[in-house]
Formats: sequence, C-alpha cells, structure tokens
Amino acid sequence: MSDLLCKINILDIDLTDKRYKISFAEDDITFLAHSIKETGLITPPVVRPLNNKFVIISGFNRIRALIYNNRLYNNETKIVVYKTKPDITDCSCLVKAIAALAFKRPLTHSELIISTRRLYQFLDKKQIAKKSAAIFNIEFNVRFVEDLLTIGALPDPAFELIHSGNLSFKSAKRISSYGENIIKVFLTIFSKIKASSNNQLEIILHIMEISARDAIKPESLLKNKEMQSILFDENKDPGLKTKDLRAWLFEQRFPTIFKAHQMVREKITSIKFKNNIKFLPPQNFESQNFSISFTAKNYSEFAASVQNLNTALENRELKEIFNQ
Amino acid sequence: MKIDTLFIDKAIPRDFETDYIISRLKTDPQWIEDSREVYDFINDADDPVSKAKKTLYITHNKGAVIKECPGTSFYTCCDYTILHTGTFCTMDCSYCILQAYFHPPVLQYFAGLETLGHNLEKIFCQDKIFRIGTGEYTDSLIWEKISLQPKFLVETFARQNNCLLELKTKTVNIESLLPLEHNGKTVIAWSLNTPDIISSEEKGTASLKARLEAARRVESKGYKLAFHFDPLVIYPECEIQYKKVIHQIFEHVSSENIVWISIGSFRFMPKLKQIIEQRFNHSTICYGEFITGLDNKMRYFKPLRIKLYKQIISCIKEHAPDLLIYFCMEDEEVWEKCMGLFPKKEGELGHILDRSAAAHCNLNSNFL
Ligand code: SF4
Repeated sequence: MSDLLCKINILDIDLTDKRYKISFAEDDITFLAHSIKETGLITPPVVRPLNNKFVIISGFNRIRALIYNNRLYNNETKIVVYKTKPDITDCSCLVKAIAALAFKRPLTHSELIISTRRLYQFLDKKQIAKKSAAIFNIEFNVRFVEDLLTIGALPDPAFELIHSGNLSFKSAKRISSYGENIIKVFLTIFSKIKASSNNQLEIILHIMEISARDAIKPESLLKNKEMQSILFDENKDPGLKTKDLRAWLFEQRFPTIFKAHQMVREKITSIKFKNNIKFLPPQNFESQNFSISFTAKNYSEFAASVQNLNTALENRELKEIFNQ
Repeated sequence: MKIDTLFIDKAIPRDFETDYIISRLKTDPQWIEDSREVYDFINDADDPVSKAKKTLYITHNKGAVIKECPGTSFYTCCDYTILHTGTFCTMDCSYCILQAYFHPPVLQYFAGLETLGHNLEKIFCQDKIFRIGTGEYTDSLIWEKISLQPKFLVETFARQNNCLLELKTKTVNIESLLPLEHNGKTVIAWSLNTPDIISSEEKGTASLKARLEAARRVESKGYKLAFHFDPLVIYPECEIQYKKVIHQIFEHVSSENIVWISIGSFRFMPKLKQIIEQRFNHSTICYGEFITGLDNKMRYFKPLRIKLYKQIISCIKEHAPDLLIYFCMEDEEVWEKCMGLFPKKEGELGHILDRSAAAHCNLNSNFL
C-alpha cells in the first residue's frame, strides 16, 4: 500500500462517479458529520486521481459528512485523503474498495453479488475464490463464486429486493435459472410481499409447478384476477399478502387436498368442542389416526371435557369426519 | 437404447454365454479388472443416467442371487422373491426409481447361468411355494435378444413344481420364449399404462398395442399372464383411459390365463423429483397432488388414489369377476374401501397370491 496521505480540495472530488461504490446503503451521515467535527477525521477516505478529478474508492459517507460540515459551518474545503498512484489499475481500486468495506463489517448478500460481478471483469472464478479471504474477509469456494455470478446476472431490481430482504439468496439463485419473463414475474411478486426464505421458495415452487401442470406461462398466472387482487391491494400489509398468496397458491396447486382440509376444518368447528379440546385429523389424511387432546387442572375440568366429548358422539359432522 | 460401450469383468470366463452376448451386441468389449473403470466412465458424463443406459457391464453377481423383496411396515407387502439377474434398464421411463436407486446406475448383466441354476436348486427343493421374479431391479426381458438367460430360466423353472417365475416387462421381446417347453411355470407379465402415459413417460418401451399383442402370442403358446397397473398416474380423464386399457386386455387375452393383476399408484422418493425435472423437462408427472406417505415416499392424496382404484377394480371385475387383483404397497384403509377386505395377517397377501400361482401354474398345492 503506497497511497499518499495528502490534502485535496473537496470540490475536486467527482461525486457523480460511483464506480467503486459497492454498498447499497445511503446511511444518515448526521452523526458521522458531528463526530468528525468533534474529533476530526480518524480514517481518511481513499481516492483515485483521474482526469484532473478524484474518484472515491472508499469513504463515500465520510466525504458526504465532510461536505455536510463544509456547508453547515463553512469550514475549509481542504480534506485529508489517501491518494492512490495515478497509474493504479481499475482492478486494484475495486479490490481496495471491497476490502475497505469487508474488513469494517461483513458484506451483505447484495454487496457480495455486486462486488463479485465487478471483480469478474478482471479476475476469473478461480482467482476470485483464491483471493477471497484477502478481499472479502471470508473464504469462498468456486461454487459460491459461481452462485454469486449467476445471481449477479439478474436484473438490477433484484439487488434492491435482496438488499431489502424481500428476496433471499436462495430464492434469487432459484429464479436466476429461469428466463427473463419468468424472472420479472417473481421480481414483481417479491416486491409486493414480505416472506421468509422458505416461504419464498414455496411460492416459486408452486407457481412453477402450477404453470407446468396446466401448460400456462407464469406470466399468465400473475395476470390471474385473484392473484392481482392479492398482490396489488395497496391497503394490505405485505405480510398479510404473503399469507393470502400462499393460501391461494396452495389451493391452486393442491385443489383436492385444500378442499378436504377445508371441509374437515368446517366440520370440526361446527362440532363446537369446548374446554380447549383439540381434535386433529391425521396428517395429510394418509394414516387413519385422529388425535384428541385436552388439558384439565382439576376433576371438574376433566369431567366437563369428557362430558363435552360424550355429547359430540352423536354429532353428525363428527361421524362424517370418521366415515368419509 | 442401443448399447455403445461394452465392459466385461476379466473374472468372467469366455464361455458360450458371454460369446453369445458379444456376438449379438456387435460392440468391441473392453475387458476390465476393476469395476471402478465403469463407474468412472459413467460418472464422467454430463448425464450419467443416460450414459449408463448405453453402457453394458457384464460381471458376476457379487451379492445375493435370491432375496426377499424389501417391503415396508406401513403398506402391505406381497412376499415376493427376487432373482437378481442384473441391474438397471435400457428403456427410459421418467418415473423409474432405478435412476435414483443406484449410485451411479450401472447396467449390469450378471453372467453365470450355472450359479443361477445352483441357487435356484436350493429353492426348488423346499416345501414351500415361491413367486420369483427378475423384474425388480431391471426389466426381465431387455436382454432376450442377446442372451440365453431368459431361455435358461424358463427351462429351469419348467423342471420343478413349487416355484413360479414371473418375467415382468415393458418390451415385446418374446420371440425366443415362444417355442420353449415352459411347463406352465413361467408367467409373462406386462406393466401397463394408458397410451398417453406410455408416450409421454415411458421412452423406449413398446406401445400398449404391441404389449397386448405380445401377450396374446405368448398366451397362444400356453404361457400364463399377469398385468401390473403400476404406476397409475392421475391426470384429467385418466379413469376413462385406464378403463379403455382394461377393455383392451380382455379383447386380447382370456381372463382364465391371467394369474393376477396388481395395482399401484405412482409414488416416489423425494430425490427422484429432481432427477425427473432434470432429465425429462416436459414431464409433469411429479406435479400431481402428492403428500408425504408414512414411508416418506411421495404418494397421491389418499382419496384420489381410492377414487381411481375403485373404478379400475370395478372395471376389471366386470370382465373377470374371479380374477385376483391386489395392491402393491397400500394400507388397510385403501384395501377395505376398494376391495372390501384387508389381508391383515403377516403373509396373508402372499398366501392369497401363492394360491393363485398354484392354481394357474400347477404348483404343488400341498405346499400351500
Ligand atoms: S421399463 Fe422399468 S426398469 Fe426400465 S426404465 Fe422403465 S421403469 Fe425402469
């Protein structure tokens, strides 16, 4: 590292050039600005001299904070930076940018994807994997690099969804194997809902399987009225949309199973078991074992539950559940 | 699928059996000492399953030649005996469990008719009825055109009276069997499906028409028959299609010559799904309404199975009220609801099948 510590004019920094910015976050810099004012700049940003200007390699927030202070307190426009050699390569700058962030905090998935995608312009998969510990502060195998690159080929909105947690790494990997139109379908869906990674995978699976079974395109399924009404209801919370979407997809994917569950649920409700009596049908209706359970703190609670079960014996719905 | 690579275990003697295969395959054999050469050859391919279907390895059976069929405790088992004559298959059914069963799958032909004979002698001298089949880990007749094994088995079984040999197939490779003295001890069985499923899911197999025509021909030579509706696949209007298949069976052969018909619906180990999706990207066979069964295999939702079974059974019964129908791997509820009976006791289903075997194949009924 032979970067030169020097003072440059803040106005000479090209703030529009973000080629080395790998972080998605636009953090609030008020506290940082305040801290710099109180204690001074502890770690100077790194910049690259290019075409009579300076391009930021690392320290985007610090420079924003310095500009903020400059505007607020009309401070001096000179700041201390590490200036790279003018003949430094693009690859070295990128490596510096990634390492500067990765050794400060673990990179998020979207940052890993963006960084790897950019590095791949200069290094091959094996080289990235080999140098990963030094660059990313974590060791990758070639397979993981491949995964990052596969996801990295997704359109840009995918990274925002990954960054916001709406699209998990696993789901991103899964959808990246599909065609452009199908990817768009899933990006639309995941921009409207908020689901756990497993639920995202379930949604992807059900949509793909319904489409294959019914010989329709996932795009057509997305246009389905009910699906649209679930996804595009602006008054509905994203969590609730997820719940409704999953239920609707399950019904489409497993119509008979859905109906059977619904019917038994309705019958159980109509029996009106009291006193916390739990009555459960066999899982998937594959075995024949129903389960009934209740708790009792004392004899009278126990007797009340038994009484309730006795009354239920004559219930038509109960008989139907067992005899269907 | 055509065999394009032939490996032969160096430990196999160059005898009439091997020469017969080599002369008919028209592929230069590679004599190898270590089976790992075959595994590596197959594993190096992008699609090892497809590669394995074109690579024949002639070797000895290093395990048990005769073994009991592995049933499960949750679903009724028929106490079948497996004669292990080879593994894997040259045909390419999307749902074939053998794709996921062997790692890697290797198309093996177990040479050594003498060994086979010795092992069978031990079974033939027992005071017990056996139903023995070769179609568990392979198709029974894929090598009929190039090997002497089917002929050997038919003639060997003809000389005893406590064992039935079931040759289960989706081919129409019967030519060499027609003139044989089988003494009624060999049952030739076809797995059947609807023409839709045969064309979409059973690549390289004979058409339904051809299978039934072959059944008619072996029946004319006195062979007994069996049919297996396994796997039944549920799809729109499948009931109508399966009934059509049943009508066709009885148009081709007489119900008196059918020893049994088995029924089983499509079920699969979860890991098979990925293989099907990778190798058969047009197949939708895994997208039915499946649940996880008690044996951890994916099975159709039980009410759907029962609905289809009932229709199939009643259709068969219309043609042949006394014909023995049994379920392959189903539970008490399914049996009761579809057949009105359940072979609850251990060995009961096996005994029912033994009785039919004895009656149709003239086995010693004292052993029942
Ligand atoms: S015929 Fe049988 S053994 Fe051969 S591929 Fe089909 S299911 Fe598998």
